[in-house]
Amino acid sequence: MNRTRRAGARVALALMASIWGARGWAQLPTDPPAVEQLPSKPTPHWVWVNDTSFFAYPDGRAFLVDGDSGKMLGMLSTGFSFTGILVPKAGGVIYSPEIYFSRGTRGTRTDVVTIYDAARLEPLGEIEIPPKRASILPMAGAQALTDDERFLLIYNFTPAQSVTVVDTRSRKFVGEIETAGCALVYPTGPRSFFSICGDGALLVTTLTDAGTLASHVRTAAVIDVLKDPVTEKGVRRGDTWLFASFEGVLHPLRATASGVEAGPTWPLFTQQELAQHWRTGGLNHLAMHGGSGRLYSIVHQGGPETREELGEEVWVYDVASRKRAQTITMRNKVGSIQVSQDSHPLLFACAMENNRLDIYDATSGKYLRTVEPLGQTPALLVTP
Amino acid sequence: MKLGAFCAVTLALGCAAIALPSGAAQPLVLTPPVQANYMLNCMGCHLADGSGAAGKVPSVRDSLVILSRSSAGRRYLVQVPGASQSPLSDLELAQLLSWMVRNLSAQTVPADFTDFTAAEVAGYRRFPLIDVRDTRARLLQAAAGSFLP
Amino acid sequence: MPSSIDALVERLARNMAQRVSRRSFIGGVGALLFGSAGVPLLPVARGESPTAARPDAAADPGDPQTCEYWRHCAIDGFLCGCCGGSGHSCPPGTEHSAVTWVGTCHNPGDGRDYIVSYNDCCGKSACGRCLCSRHEDDKPLYVPFRSNDYNWCPGSKVGIAYHCTVARIVGVAK
Repeated sequence: MNRTRRAGARVALALMASIWGARGWAQLPTDPPAVEQLPSKPTPHWVWVNDTSFFAYPDGRAFLVDGDSGKMLGMLSTGFSFTGILVPKAGGVIYSPEIYFSRGTRGTRTDVVTIYDAARLEPLGEIEIPPKRASILPMAGAQALTDDERFLLIYNFTPAQSVTVVDTRSRKFVGEIETAGCALVYPTGPRSFFSICGDGALLVTTLTDAGTLASHVRTAAVIDVLKDPVTEKGVRRGDTWLFASFEGVLHPLRATASGVEAGPTWPLFTQQELAQHWRTGGLNHLAMHGGSGRLYSIVHQGGPETREELGEEVWVYDVASRKRAQTITMRNKVGSIQVSQDSHPLLFACAMENNRLDIYDATSGKYLRTVEPLGQTPALLVTP
Repeated sequence: MKLGAFCAVTLALGCAAIALPSGAAQPLVLTPPVQANYMLNCMGCHLADGSGAAGKVPSVRDSLVILSRSSAGRRYLVQVPGASQSPLSDLELAQLLSWMVRNLSAQTVPADFTDFTAAEVAGYRRFPLIDVRDTRARLLQAAAGSFLP
Repeated sequence: MPSSIDALVERLARNMAQRVSRRSFIGGVGALLFGSAGVPLLPVARGESPTAARPDAAADPGDPQTCEYWRHCAIDGFLCGCCGGSGHSCPPGTEHSAVTWVGTCHNPGDGRDYIVSYNDCCGKSACGRCLCSRHEDDKPLYVPFRSNDYNWCPGSKVGIAYHCTVARIVGVAK
């Protein structure tokens, strides 16, 4: 809401009231055309709901919601097979990798990174990139900023695998780095990220200061692809990425000076819980509150083939002690969650199968409110 | 036209082999394991005849014979991520690569082509290739150069 | 090779419009069992409709327009049978994307494990009907040839507009 405009209107109304005086109002004042603008800085309880519009794939959208008031604040129209926006902590702009066809669903394909003004939600410009961006569901691993937010990384799949690098400072496409046999982008530093390879190894890519390829190093296999692979939906706390396997084994992958190290794994489920067929569920099924070290995980009961099905509970773990600390029962079945990173965090939850956003107190687990209808297939929640 | 006829053959033969008419006792024809391995691990991208998709997936129809002539080329065929990262054992991968050379090549397979062995595959496979595009280009370029008089 | 297959191969070979070198048959019957993964399955040669007579229900149980149909054991998308196509053919005006992933499904009707190619039909926006998401033995995105979480339309000529998915038998594993 633009407080300046509102304040101006109030002054005008007060003046008119004083002019009319005892006679009171004869009629309401006219409304000048107006366009709202966001405050220049987000509150910690804002959330971007990335909606891939699976049933209308050319028409991806990102909805901005104020978690405290439950109000929709604005929206971005983000093109074909939308996988998520990037909101730099530095603020001011929002980056959105977007795909367009000259005739909607066919014709010439153009891939761009659109740069939006974060307050006006208007495009400031765009950077054209190779038309190769992977067409997958929204997830954090599809597009990422290096830790200093200078370079934007986008996973390509044609099905040849590569990563597009964009320099956000010069607003130019830098180059495409081949990552054959390895997928997605998980940043580990100002000039480094890793991808996960088909044999369970990690490919660590280091960039030069200009964003070109400096080195490629493959780790040994850290994931058992055949027996119990991890989902792609890792979450990050500081220098460590946490991935959950199909059977609920937590794999910490820690960035070091020389690359990435796999730390000791630990189970999200006790033997008894496994016997009761508890497992993780949903799409973007993990969320991490960095400050408290609490890991949130959507769970449900079902066989191995149900791992992408929605869950009715979110289990909260303390990553330091590796113990479950809390169970939060969801009002609706959910597939994607996110937590705000402040000291009184909110837990946001949605599902592609439903068009609503549920909001909880992330500490007490108390249900707060639902924003609906919202979107078509909301899939990835991003807090600025 | 050739492709249309091929289509008819495969569709008809596929139906004949699998779609058993009621009451008829027809022999089961399992897809031979090495071909099943090609289908499950390679065919999705490289396609049934190895022709791939221009600009996206390389064709193997010409390169297999060329690359299998040199140890560097054979090493590439084992180390390319699609091969080295596959869930196949070294023996299965050796058999698959040999089968591919003999069955997907548009060119005549040289009489002196030797099948891949499990030991050979194991030796190369330990060192997965990262720089795939450039290595392939370099090897094919070198092979082309070696044909010049 | 079983003699009946031999005879069938010989008869079909004589009918082929253009000579195919003997080498194409050296791969054996298996090569021809691949299914024409590289060719769009448009009106089948010899005038057969793609939805012509199916084998008897006992050998191929279940309704291909349902998510529970055995061939859909790892399908992820809209079933083309609900969209103007069939379980194995694309709706009119869409492109059968040859590049895809190939998996295995168990047929409870005859006890066999069939090799199933999940091809996407591309070039139009979502069919929007019969959405089915099953995950029997598929893998995450970093194992692409075993992953149904990719939109496989990028391998098509027309591009990534995803419409629906078919499940085509291309072989018999065991």
